[in-house]
Amino acid sequence: MRVLVVEDEPDVIRAVAMYLREEGYSVDTADNGEDGLFKGVSWDYDAILLDVMLPRRDGWSVLSELRRQNKTTPVLMLTARDTVKDRVRGLDTGADDYLIKPFELSELAARLRALIRRSAGKSQPVIEIGNVTIDMTSRTVSVDGAAVALTAKEYCLLEFLAIHRGELVTRTKIYDHLFDEYDASLSNLVDVYVSNIRRKVGRELITTRRGMGYIIDS
Amino acid sequence: MFKSLRWRLQVWHAIVLLTVLTSFGGIVHSLHWQTRLQQVDAELDRTAGLVMSQLRRLLPRPPGGRPGGSRRPRRADETNSETTFEADTGARPDANIAAVTPRSDSTRNESSPENSPLSPPEQAVPPGPPRRDRFDPGPLPEEFKQLFHGDEESRLYFVIWGGNGVQLEQSDSAPEITYPNLHIGREGFPIRVVRSRPGEKTYREVIHAGMFDLNILVGRSLENDLAAHHRSGLLLGGAGLVILAAGVLGGGWLSSRAILPIAEMTVTAESISALDLSKRINVKETDSELGKLATVLNQTFDRLQSAFERQSQFTADASHELRTPLSVISTHTELALSRPRSNEDYRAAIETCRRASQRMRSLIDSLLLLARFDSGAPSFKQDRFDLKPLLADCAELVEPLATERHIQIECQPDSCFVRGDWDRLSQVVTNLLTNAIRYNVQGGHVRVTTRMDGETAILSVTDTGVGIAADQLTRIFDRFYQVDKARSRAEGSSGLGLSICKTIVEAHGGTIVATSEVGVGTTLEVRLPLATESVPAMGTKSNEIDKELLLK
Repeated sequence: MRVLVVEDEPDVIRAVAMYLREEGYSVDTADNGEDGLFKGVSWDYDAILLDVMLPRRDGWSVLSELRRQNKTTPVLMLTARDTVKDRVRGLDTGADDYLIKPFELSELAARLRALIRRSAGKSQPVIEIGNVTIDMTSRTVSVDGAAVALTAKEYCLLEFLAIHRGELVTRTKIYDHLFDEYDASLSNLVDVYVSNIRRKVGRELITTRRGMGYIIDS
Repeated sequence: MFKSLRWRLQVWHAIVLLTVLTSFGGIVHSLHWQTRLQQVDAELDRTAGLVMSQLRRLLPRPPGGRPGGSRRPRRADETNSETTFEADTGARPDANIAAVTPRSDSTRNESSPENSPLSPPEQAVPPGPPRRDRFDPGPLPEEFKQLFHGDEESRLYFVIWGGNGVQLEQSDSAPEITYPNLHIGREGFPIRVVRSRPGEKTYREVIHAGMFDLNILVGRSLENDLAAHHRSGLLLGGAGLVILAAGVLGGGWLSSRAILPIAEMTVTAESISALDLSKRINVKETDSELGKLATVLNQTFDRLQSAFERQSQFTADASHELRTPLSVISTHTELALSRPRSNEDYRAAIETCRRASQRMRSLIDSLLLLARFDSGAPSFKQDRFDLKPLLADCAELVEPLATERHIQIECQPDSCFVRGDWDRLSQVVTNLLTNAIRYNVQGGHVRVTTRMDGETAILSVTDTGVGIAADQLTRIFDRFYQVDKARSRAEGSSGLGLSICKTIVEAHGGTIVATSEVGVGTTLEVRLPLATESVPAMGTKSNEIDKELLLK
């Protein structure tokens, strides 16, 4: 999952980006509204974390411009203002959720997961495909009830394919969503992850469409 | 309720109206009675005239040889008439009269013969007609009789006395009451009396004394008039009551109309609370007293609202500024604790938290300082000291920052003695210098000078930074206002520095103004009143500095 964090406080952005990366997300950052809007428009993020008080262009303006350009990317607003008026304004402008500073990183991550799940049309936190169970809350995978140890990236890839099960997921899309601007995108990296997953949870789960991408049949 | 303005107005209005109506009604009623009496008198006079003309016919030669009943001839015979008059007034109850006029009343009895010593009745009695048995009026004409045969209440009557007080004739209609003996009357002047006794009718009588040495009384019952007068009185009272009721109701309506805007204002003012200050009183007539009051109240509410808005904006900004370092601490500690880290990672996390807590501390210090100013000027020291060493101190303090950014500070201070708090003014100068360095270009200059201008010390700090646009320049002293948010954030500035400077300078009786040219630089100028030499320096610190200066 690839997320964009738009926040002007360098210390906060550092902590959030690091935490989310450790959670297996690819994280892009922007420290002002203009940058944030540019990145938000140019990439298809799974979610955007958007601060309200931003230099050069505030969060409201970034959000409404995104929505004006028909970007349906789920947006989680971060703000130090917690009046009802501010929250209403945020939700009316098109924000999908709201988090008030100071926040807990674990809560931020949970809200982000829920947001991404909802936007993919899967509101259940547990996906079951045959004998494989993916628990998106605890980020664990089990086969026939037995837990399987996956790395963060492997889990993210499996989750991404599972969320989009029934549809073909191209390699480009995988790169776009699972690797951030700092990752070296080696062309066979995805193949390595897929083969690791197949080894751990079973060969039948992920089908390869040669030359196109991968799919988990629903 | 009864203490309300409206009720008091109502009651006073009713009282005033009642008083006016009562006195007016009383006057009208009494005038009406006077008029009625005058009408009655006119009728009686007319009748008396008729009676007299009748008498003149009956007595072609007036008794006492007087030619006629007119007053003129009698006046010609003044002495005689006086005598007669005196005789008339001193009517004497001799046996004869008492026998003939059994109705002689106590008045007659009371009038003693001594009242008129000059005039025994015998002298005055004319030789001819005065005795009743010798008086024969002869056949009275029918129409004349008719006059005295009306209905009971309006029937006229007459009584005739002789000059000696003997009753000569009376009409049949004369009521059975006691008539006065003639004891009055300047001749020619009719005497008018209203007579009434408890339980009896009231009569109006007119007495013409001395006509042909006869005294003629013509009277009439006033019962009809009294009844009519009572009726008109009742009518008047009724009308008065109706007017009073209408007046009170109308007054009530008027007062409630007049009070209505006040009630509206009360309701609006009640609904204007800290939660909703946006409502205003609807001012319809700005020229009326209430309109003016409403306008004044609205202006007060405006000020209140803007004060509240400023306050809530300030609180929101302050909480935002406090939440940011709090977020830093919260996220970094959580991140550090989320999994095992290396020592460097922990060190970095702790260092970040320390910076954040320092930032919070300085922010809280600033907020407390401003809060102290807001709740009334805090007591400052009133030392007298020179700005020159202060400037040198401050320049030294910011030197490391300037060196780091390759910025040169030019310090050219003149000696200027001012009065105030050394620490606070150092804070101001340090703040201005720090800003000038922070928002300068790499390798730029900062020039700081002091000079005297009349009674004022002028301290100015000029930088060679990017400058501030005019629309932003007016707001740089606002709390939490930041010209370049990103840069301020990067510098760790909260946006309170200049507002604190302004507050301190103004508490010292000075002013601070900013001028700027985009691309050239910004100048901040602090003007403080010069300390007069005559007042001895009191503060210990300034004394020490003075000594240092002297030693130098």
